[in-house]
Amino acid sequence: MASSGADHAVWLRGIEKQFPGVIACAGADLRVRPGTIHALLGENGAGKTTMVNVLAGVYRPDGGEVWVNGQQRFFHSPADAIAAGVGMVYQEFRLVPNLTVAENIVLGSAPGLLRTNEIEERVAELSAAYGMAADPTRPVWQLSMGERQRVEILKSLWRNASVLVMDEPTAVLTPGEAAELGATLRAMAEEGRSVIYISHKLDQVVAFCDEATVLRQGKTAATVDNLQDVDLTSLAEMMVGTSGGGYVDRPPPRDRGPEVLSLQNISALNDRGLPALADINMTVHSGEIVGIVGVSGNGQKELAEVITGLRRPAQGRVAVNGQDVTRASPGDRYGLGLAYVPEDRLGVGLAPKMSVVDNSVVRSYKSQRRGLLLVMDRCVKFCQTLVERFGVRVGRLNDPIAGLSGGNLQRLLLGRELAEQPAVLVAAQPTRGLDVQGVAAIQSHLVEQRANGVGVLLISEDLDELQALSDVLLVMYEGRVVGEYPPDVTPRTILGSAMAGNPPT
Amino acid sequence: MMRPVLIRRERVVPATQAVAFVVGIATALVLGLILLWTSGHSPAEVYERMFDAAFMGTDSLARTLERATPLALTGLAVAVAGSMGLWNIGAEGQMMAGATIAAGVAMGADGLSGPLLIALMVVSGVAGGMVLMLGPALARSHLGVSEIITTLMLVYVAIRVVEWLETGPWKDPESFGFAVIEPVPEQASLPGLFGRAHIGTLIALGLLLVFSLAVSRTAWGYELRLAGSSPNTARYAGISLRRKVLTALLLSGGIAGLAGAVQLTGSATRLESGLSNGYGFAGIIVAALALMRPSGVVVAAFVFGAVQVGGQSIQTLGVSSAISDILQAMILFAALVAAVFFNYRIRWRGPAGRESSDDEQAEAGDDALTMEGV
Ligand SMILES: Nc1ncnc2c1ncn2[C@@H]1O[C@H](COP(=O)(O)OP(=O)(O)OP(=O)(O)O)[C@@H](O)[C@H]1O
Ligand SMILES: [Mg+2]
Repeated sequence: MASSGADHAVWLRGIEKQFPGVIACAGADLRVRPGTIHALLGENGAGKTTMVNVLAGVYRPDGGEVWVNGQQRFFHSPADAIAAGVGMVYQEFRLVPNLTVAENIVLGSAPGLLRTNEIEERVAELSAAYGMAADPTRPVWQLSMGERQRVEILKSLWRNASVLVMDEPTAVLTPGEAAELGATLRAMAEEGRSVIYISHKLDQVVAFCDEATVLRQGKTAATVDNLQDVDLTSLAEMMVGTSGGGYVDRPPPRDRGPEVLSLQNISALNDRGLPALADINMTVHSGEIVGIVGVSGNGQKELAEVITGLRRPAQGRVAVNGQDVTRASPGDRYGLGLAYVPEDRLGVGLAPKMSVVDNSVVRSYKSQRRGLLLVMDRCVKFCQTLVERFGVRVGRLNDPIAGLSGGNLQRLLLGRELAEQPAVLVAAQPTRGLDVQGVAAIQSHLVEQRANGVGVLLISEDLDELQALSDVLLVMYEGRVVGEYPPDVTPRTILGSAMAGNPPT
Repeated sequence: MMRPVLIRRERVVPATQAVAFVVGIATALVLGLILLWTSGHSPAEVYERMFDAAFMGTDSLARTLERATPLALTGLAVAVAGSMGLWNIGAEGQMMAGATIAAGVAMGADGLSGPLLIALMVVSGVAGGMVLMLGPALARSHLGVSEIITTLMLVYVAIRVVEWLETGPWKDPESFGFAVIEPVPEQASLPGLFGRAHIGTLIALGLLLVFSLAVSRTAWGYELRLAGSSPNTARYAGISLRRKVLTALLLSGGIAGLAGAVQLTGSATRLESGLSNGYGFAGIIVAALALMRPSGVVVAAFVFGAVQVGGQSIQTLGVSSAISDILQAMILFAALVAAVFFNYRIRWRGPAGRESSDDEQAEAGDDALTMEGV
């Protein structure tokens, strides 16, 4: 078949894909030249994930053509796409936690009867060749998010993918890990492989990528042949159609109210039984935002879990609104006014297989009862209110929530947590993976809560966000609070060295 | 070489379920045709007898209902545990335990009036099933010990206990030396409906209705669904997983125990080691056929009951019990395979990703099962 798709590594042409109640792609195009890193940009719900899922054989498009390396393809399953050289690293990783790194990498493509140590050797070689440190013998559940991502990339390289698709890869990475990823991707591109890179972090996009395609409401809104030629603002404009603002403006300082959350001498172990938190003391007052600064993996996750009751502290005391809750269940703490937006949205905050309605009443189902019965009308109405108030884009309310895009999941989750007017909100990475407008929406909700007298503990990896929103910054390093800084007057360099464990005195 | 791959359906279309079911049964009947032919029987005659025995006339229908009733209860028992991702393999034993306690109560309280005694026996049947489940349930919820093994092991314990009671403590002195337990008192038999059918059928239907409403329409059921589908989210919502596992398993055991009491008061004359008659194990198949849904349990139990009645009836035509068993197994197996196609569709894939034409949807890769690999 003669074609104009021949000179492209990937050519998605006029892709259409409809889900019940939502048009995800409405004739979108994507062309990727071999040996380039291609950014796929767009707002939450623009159809980016759907596009690459079509390329990866997860969805069959309702219309349009898929060309890979000059051949038109009709993928029926991800296995077909893998066979054609398309490797995909999903937003949510798909590794088997109990298997080792090497086992995960060869899973599904076991080359006959290789012995374990041979496989491990070859995996080690591969990871060395691309500058990705990964111990092949470790079980995956022990790995950080960044390490897991490396395993996913190695898995694609093991299968010799010529096109690697990465859906929001740096959302889970520390800044250092992100830079390493950039180098790895560049090495792959220089070998002639192509990378499709989805991200909302435009500064990284400009740093890592060569060319870009911008999607808006399921259509290709713009293409950029050379990313060096454009600036961040015009990129953002292409995504939203208008000039999208940056971070929400710093709220004016307020008088602090009474103490709503306090931790005394908290120590805790992580999942591996190693010390994760050591002697943490902190307080959050009504009407303030306390920002937790730190490279992820320094105890932030455990801190949020100890506060919200998902992890038992080894020692110490937690109080919400003056009441000791150290032994209270997560549900009881919510009843006392503690709301929690967990980092892992689909694994902890939401139940992916249950409906949008079911997910919106996770906190309030007990108050939607009449006698023993759960009043479905009330649940639906409650859900509709959340959807409207927080601008969630949904199809049918009775469909599984897993179909929503990342930004919409987060809007619903935050909305649900704020619905009962909590006294304290613990928000872990609340804007991770969101587009410019989504970030602004979530941030302005946080600021609004502060104005209403809620005490907010904001855990984030985004220093700009933390500095813009917080009243005080606490820097965490290896499970300790190593410094407390005012957000506006503290130079980045000081925060940076505190994050690296050397707080200047 | 082409190989078959199962692909999860993007959405389950209700019509496919009916079609898959009918096609599955039809396939089994065609295979059965060959089986009957080669063993020298007239398939038409055999199939007609099966159908008549199971469905034609009130007596036949009553026999089918009589069989379907314990199947529906044990099926529900397995499905209750299944909704939390747990496997109660030991409904057979809990059924025995329920019948045993109910029989014991009947011996001690045989002065009571019928309705009162029956009510007491039914309640103690539930208690008996729960007692046998208590160990496995606690071991699972607090120690994480697999309930599959423990519930199964207790089946044999329960049956042996009844055998011991038959030969020893509860042996009927008027049995002329036979090792049997004395019959349950006259007044303790469940009122009949028609033919051999008794109101146990209504009890089962009522319980299925209550349970399906409880799951979909109560806060308790919501918690159960949440805990079953996303344990971490349930924990986050403050639901105690331990307690949910414990209640689901105890409830499962209790329903199986109820099946024992209903069987004892409805169909049997006395407690005996053969009382559970494989109904508990068959309940696993019923629940699997029903995809763990209460509404499905009703249909699956009825079909299963009919197949059993029909299968036995053909032995009077000289069909050996082995052939009859094979035939029954084929029909159920076909129905189970059909159940797979409720959720998956099949596609043939050639080497190196060359396509066979197929106009349906492809769906998420981690859901695709390669038959080769399984
Ligand atoms: N499996 C599905 N079922 C139903 N609707 C879906 C499904 N997948 C995506 N959608 C809907 O299609 C639209 C596009 O979603 P998609 O996930 O492609 O967006 P995205 O650009 O990746 O967004 P984000 O940046 O938030 O990840 C959204 O409105 C989403 O809710
Ligand atoms: Mg996405």
